[in-house]
Amino acid sequence: MSFDVLFNQFMSGIARGALLFLVASGLSLTFGVLRVLNFAHGSLYMLGAFLSYSIWKYLLIPTFGFYVAAVLAALIMAGVGLIIELGLLRRLYARGWAEQLLATYAIILIITDLVKWGWGGAFLSIPRPEPFTGAVFMFDFPFPSYNFFIILLGAGLVVFLWWLVYRTRLGDIIRAAAHDREMVSALGIPIPWLFTSVFVLGAAIAGLSGAVTAPFGSVALGMDIEIIIECFAVVVIGGMGSLPGTLLGSFIVGQVYSFGIMFLPNLALAFIFLVMAVVLIIRPWGIFGRPER
Amino acid sequence: MKRSAVLALFVSAVFLLLLTGATAQDTIKFGAIYDFAGGCHMYSESAITGIDMAVAEINAAGGVLGKKLEYVKRDTEAKTDVAVREVKDLILREKVNFLLGPCSSGTGLAMQVVHSENKVIRIAGLANTEAQTVDKFTPYIFQIVPNTYMEATANTRYLHKKFPKAKRFCTIGPDYEFGRREEAAFAEEIKKLVPDAEIVYEAWPKLGEKDFTAFITAIMAKKPDAVHGSLFGGDLVSFTKQALPYGFFQKIPFIALYDLPVLVALGADAPEGTLGFGRGCFFMDPNPKMMEFVEKYKKAYKGNYPDSWAVMAYESLFLFKAAAEKAKSIETEAIIKAMEGTNLDMLRGPFTVRPLDHMGTVPCYQGTIAKVPEYPFKIWKDLSRVPGDQVIRPEAEVREIWKKTGVQR
Repeated sequence: MSFDVLFNQFMSGIARGALLFLVASGLSLTFGVLRVLNFAHGSLYMLGAFLSYSIWKYLLIPTFGFYVAAVLAALIMAGVGLIIELGLLRRLYARGWAEQLLATYAIILIITDLVKWGWGGAFLSIPRPEPFTGAVFMFDFPFPSYNFFIILLGAGLVVFLWWLVYRTRLGDIIRAAAHDREMVSALGIPIPWLFTSVFVLGAAIAGLSGAVTAPFGSVALGMDIEIIIECFAVVVIGGMGSLPGTLLGSFIVGQVYSFGIMFLPNLALAFIFLVMAVVLIIRPWGIFGRPER
Repeated sequence: MKRSAVLALFVSAVFLLLLTGATAQDTIKFGAIYDFAGGCHMYSESAITGIDMAVAEINAAGGVLGKKLEYVKRDTEAKTDVAVREVKDLILREKVNFLLGPCSSGTGLAMQVVHSENKVIRIAGLANTEAQTVDKFTPYIFQIVPNTYMEATANTRYLHKKFPKAKRFCTIGPDYEFGRREEAAFAEEIKKLVPDAEIVYEAWPKLGEKDFTAFITAIMAKKPDAVHGSLFGGDLVSFTKQALPYGFFQKIPFIALYDLPVLVALGADAPEGTLGFGRGCFFMDPNPKMMEFVEKYKKAYKGNYPDSWAVMAYESLFLFKAAAEKAKSIETEAIIKAMEGTNLDMLRGPFTVRPLDHMGTVPCYQGTIAKVPEYPFKIWKDLSRVPGDQVIRPEAEVREIWKKTGVQR
């Protein structure tokens, strides 16, 4: 097996990891601060994808319509996140995890029915936008430039979240709240406001990542559950609520999947869960996670 | 509970019974059970449009044996347990005369056990696993969609005809009943056509996969002469868009289920020169009856074109009508007897329901994707229509399989 073949497979894994990171980072961020496992994160991602399709179709701007649609979809999803946090989640923080799970599961069902009602069962697709329609060549082998765009976006999000969490005052508060909620509250920082901001940010990231998958593949019902299962694998491996953990988890899942497909195509998906099981046995809180107190 | 309340309940119950009894006499009620979820959602919606057209036409012309058709729609949510529950409810409570559906081969096999036990027939015009009529045959199933064996045999021959020198193959199919059956039939047929054929790599993405990049690079690394695919719907749209920048379609001959909804969704991205197979819509079989149907359909559905799934659901009801009129009864055993050997000559041309296994000798279609000025989407050229009797599994082979699976007939 030659080097370029392996390199290409590695790059396929990087692209998949970047896509997973886009979605899983929002899930992990929300969990880290709010301590709520948002099952409906995948549904926000799906709704973002459908919204970006409709906005793109309505705008009909030939070249840059998609980028406008993606940003608008992210903003609308931020609004949806605001409604969900204020209307539902806020009332559930004090309750047990079982009730939180039921409530976020209810959101999945509601959004699925909304999408059925609004868009029906069709699968939709947006053409890849300029200048990412073609391929770039690496070692005489083509690599789709839109995949590069996704990788760049993933890298951009890493930098943005790192800056936000480690270099801003909001980030200090977020990290402090993840560590000790009562102490932050005792310092006079309004916790409800902090939670709302973080959830809205998570929803916007979900919406944006949904939008960028629209030109990548197809937009269809069921994409919510499909992505959330792999995102759980990512955050379990990397550690819930940890930014570096989510990055490493995305990388591992992407690579395991990519090389699994090449060498053991019948077991590719099983391998990811095997890795997850091993991590759970050795380090139940994930590679970069902290044990629950 | 007060005595008056009990009495009121009893009276209303009797009244309801009389009411349903009364309607049962001048109408024929059937259950339309489909999978309105995930990849099957769109196909199920299409099937319902075909059913609505057929019901309206048949009723306008006096119904079946003077009785109007009416139907109850049910959703399996693409889950086998829900399928079983809904079919039971359709049979026991709604007392339907027969069933149409579903889309998924998985829910189809699950419900087959239930409606067969209750002696209610089902016409499958969408779910096409060969297991319905062969491995797990019961007299209560009729299949008028080319089954996985027929379809893959026919499209393997087309692939071989177009690329006779191809010896090293890869396959890519969704990892469930349908994909596994199609690729098994491909492997069986290609070894008959090309004795030294070799399958160098098999890709099994899960149903609903969104990212095919790693599969594409793995296939290209094997440098196959051709790739046989059984991807369909949204999965095929994703695969195609992701394979395009790799120059996949210029380098490797490929065949998959490029039917109308996929070509519409892909638009300009549909790869010209790549091969498609399908189950019978207007651009695959542009005969006068089909084109007349297209015009009627477009009037009824805001200018949309009917796909194969609407065509097959539409024909399913006319098959029932033909059998009922031949039997002069809608009693199940009489319908079964009449349906065996019934000929239908409608949108897809003539076919017969084979008495042995209730499999229709319906045609399989293949073509090459091409751009034409008449339509706003790409369609096929180099059309191939393989009549079902050329690819249906020989009766002797069916009996051999039955010996293994324990089907008595």
